[in-house]
Amino acid sequence: MIGYVVWRLLGAVALLVVVSALVFAIFNVLPAADPATLRAGKSATPEQVEAIRESLGLDDPLLVRFGRYMAGVFTPFEGGPLNLGTSIFQNNEPVLAIVADRLPATAFLVAGAVVLWIGIAVPVGVASALRRRSALDRATMITTLAFVSAPVFWLGLVALYLFADDVGLISVFPGVGAYDEADGLLAKAWTLVLPWTVLALGTAAIYARYIRAEMIGAMEEDYVRTARAKGVPERRVVLNHALRSAITPVVTLLGLDLGLLLAGNAILTESVFNVPGIGREVVTAIDRSDYELIQGIVLFGAFFIVIANLIVDVVYAYLDPRVRF
Amino acid sequence: MRSMASRRLVCGALLASALALGACGGDDDGSAPSAGDTGIPEEFAAPTAPPDDVRAGGELTVLATGDVDFMDPGAAWYQFTYMVTTAAHRTLLAWRPGSTKAPSPDLASGEPEVSDDGLEVTFEIREGVRFSPPVDREVTAADVEYAIERGLLPGVANGYIPTYLADVTGLEEAAEEAADDPTGGAPDVPGITATDDRTLVIELDRPTAATVIQALSLPISAPVPEDYAARHDAENPSTYGNHVAFTGPYMVEADEDGELAGYTPGREIRMVRNPNWDREASGDFRPAHLDSIRIAEGFDDTGSASRRILEGSAQVNGDFSPPPTVIRDAASGGAEGQMVASPSGGNRYIALNTQEPPFDDVDVRRAVLAASNRTALRNTRGGELIGPVANHFIPPGIPGFEAAGGVDGAGLDFLADPEGDIEVAASYMRAAGYESGRCEDDCEVTVIGESASPASETTEVFVDGLESLGFEVQSRDVARDVLYTRFCNVPEQMPHVCPSVGWLKDFNDGLSILQPTFDGGAINDAANANWPLLDVREINEAIAAAELVEDPDERAERWGEIDTMITERAPAVPYVWDNQVNLRSADVAGVINLFNANWDLAFTSLSG
Repeated sequence: MIGYVVWRLLGAVALLVVVSALVFAIFNVLPAADPATLRAGKSATPEQVEAIRESLGLDDPLLVRFGRYMAGVFTPFEGGPLNLGTSIFQNNEPVLAIVADRLPATAFLVAGAVVLWIGIAVPVGVASALRRRSALDRATMITTLAFVSAPVFWLGLVALYLFADDVGLISVFPGVGAYDEADGLLAKAWTLVLPWTVLALGTAAIYARYIRAEMIGAMEEDYVRTARAKGVPERRVVLNHALRSAITPVVTLLGLDLGLLLAGNAILTESVFNVPGIGREVVTAIDRSDYELIQGIVLFGAFFIVIANLIVDVVYAYLDPRVRF
Repeated sequence: MRSMASRRLVCGALLASALALGACGGDDDGSAPSAGDTGIPEEFAAPTAPPDDVRAGGELTVLATGDVDFMDPGAAWYQFTYMVTTAAHRTLLAWRPGSTKAPSPDLASGEPEVSDDGLEVTFEIREGVRFSPPVDREVTAADVEYAIERGLLPGVANGYIPTYLADVTGLEEAAEEAADDPTGGAPDVPGITATDDRTLVIELDRPTAATVIQALSLPISAPVPEDYAARHDAENPSTYGNHVAFTGPYMVEADEDGELAGYTPGREIRMVRNPNWDREASGDFRPAHLDSIRIAEGFDDTGSASRRILEGSAQVNGDFSPPPTVIRDAASGGAEGQMVASPSGGNRYIALNTQEPPFDDVDVRRAVLAASNRTALRNTRGGELIGPVANHFIPPGIPGFEAAGGVDGAGLDFLADPEGDIEVAASYMRAAGYESGRCEDDCEVTVIGESASPASETTEVFVDGLESLGFEVQSRDVARDVLYTRFCNVPEQMPHVCPSVGWLKDFNDGLSILQPTFDGGAINDAANANWPLLDVREINEAIAAAELVEDPDERAERWGEIDTMITERAPAVPYVWDNQVNLRSADVAGVINLFNANWDLAFTSLSG
């Protein structure tokens, strides 16, 4: 197992270099805004723009710039091995410092949403599978279809206009920007109830349908019939035998979805609810065409996805005794 | 100030304006545009003076979608940033809330003295103005000299210096020196000299003192202590923006080393009172009623942010205008006095490339203007309330507007009907050699616009007008920053039409509206704002001559005449003079600064 983990970590480093090259190419080879002109601002002269371009090395050959960027990524920062580059629009602030400032909010948002969606999807999926074609099954599947179809930004706005305590029809939950104003873990958690719910609902719906299908298959397996024949109580048959089997591929799915979540819905949710996380920072960076910051955050995201998948693989081995590395 | 790109042009819905300033307090100089020019109903007139019974203390929250551009006053140029800089810095001159005619002495103890030949401007610096901790010392003239000189460093890169201070003696050489050695410290500009602690002398090669004086009302003249800032300016980009020393009534919260702990880009700016500010001792005209100001950023949904302000407490808007639905609800009586509007000092237009066929022919351009439904173009931005349909370029409130014909314009037939006149258009097409009144041969034109709404709708409406003249339009939408930095700002890549442009004044002078945008001499390879690439000798000469005029009335007359000369050449389709709508909570005694068309945080207070 340790050898496998080391091997995967080495692969992750190679992958991150490839990701860096791709992201660098997107902003430096394909048509994109000119950072020197943007940095110069309004009314700048061509001489000023050129001076900025030259002083920041933006007129150097592509490979030189990429090499410098990679060197910048691995510049030590506050005792650590890398700083992920620096933001020229934020007074040379290391990207890692910016990410570190924003990470807690994103981690809290994503972790809460994952707990919520698993907490919703598993019982709903299992209940639907055990009562196939019942009214409950049909109702839950139609509801999940509705949530799967709803874009998260739309769902977020609807939730705000219905339940936010400042602009909602029914004042229940804290609204936009409440996270930054709250003090303490519990208070911050309270401000995330709506974002968690919005972020979790769509994915929970997908997972519920997936678990239902897996459970239906598992309940028809021979080992379930055998367990029942041996007189094992139905509750244990479902939870210990069928569900354990059905949930294994779901864990794999979770690893992939964490990445998708960070790259998509978490950004949208953070924007709608003004949660000061990495997603919002990406939006700000794109707005400023702060490429080095965007590249650094993408690199961090890729690293996170690789690690998340590694953890999933380890958990997979734990859940399924047949899997060995 | 904020200009063409979306961060730059104040996007979103803006309300038509008219200011009944006489009713709003006594801080104006009588130069504000009339209601007839801007159309703002009296109930939405912007208050420009605090009420008599202000309440001292309390915290105001400013909701914003984005961030300031740069906390460093040497680099700042964005309108929203000026909300912060006007409350946190003393500049040589500054704009009182109701003033649109001329800035008042601020860090300067009186009006600047201009020599008889107009080649020397002298400022006397006030005593008693002190930097915030950790600098803690009195401001001297050398601090202003350093502030301007460091603006030439590529790591600071102030865009206004080479534009408006270009005639300062030795500036060009100093700029080259800074470019050659970006981290070697601020270059010495021979024409800027602190002759003693209290006297700053600026020498000019041409008598452009009027422009220089106005430009020094911008944040570039906020003092910077060299002894403290030099180590930050030795980095590229400068890191002084994280360690700013303030001189105004407020400062961004900082730790003992001066690092701005209260500023998290894109997230929050916490402003507290500057402990070294003494209104009486430093002769400041700002009352500074509030204890603290929190700017909360990231409110992307302007609808919910607007409602939060209207229904909440102690809040105002920052960098956004409320969406049309909120304006409609507020205008229909839901929020009396909480929504105000003021002219932004900006315009929007569609630039035609005057250097390439078919728009190198002035009659074809006039035909396009005549065929354009400018009311429909304006309506894509939010309708009647966002501002009057423009028929020339200097907006209401800027000297020269009246001389250019005011709201009625110069009486040009191709701009007579704001909804377009296809007959007039056809007559100009015939004058250009298109016998049928429509283009029938080699009619392809390229339009590159902004992909985001509402700019994309504006492009669609304009394309309809072009197609009515027989043009075959190849239209392409791109992201805003790409549009400017790769196409419209780069003459070599300039398409036939850039439909998503506009300009916001830097200060209240016709020059700041017309020179960067229509002077042939301003055309440049990389950061061009003369989008139509207009290069007409008579206009260039008239601009060069008007720059030297010092008498305000004559100056306004000259810029008005230039505006008419430009409009006659039809280089662009002007379609709106923007107004800016602002919101406040019911318990906020808000004061609008007409220069910035936004809340003046040093005059605004809480009520009740």
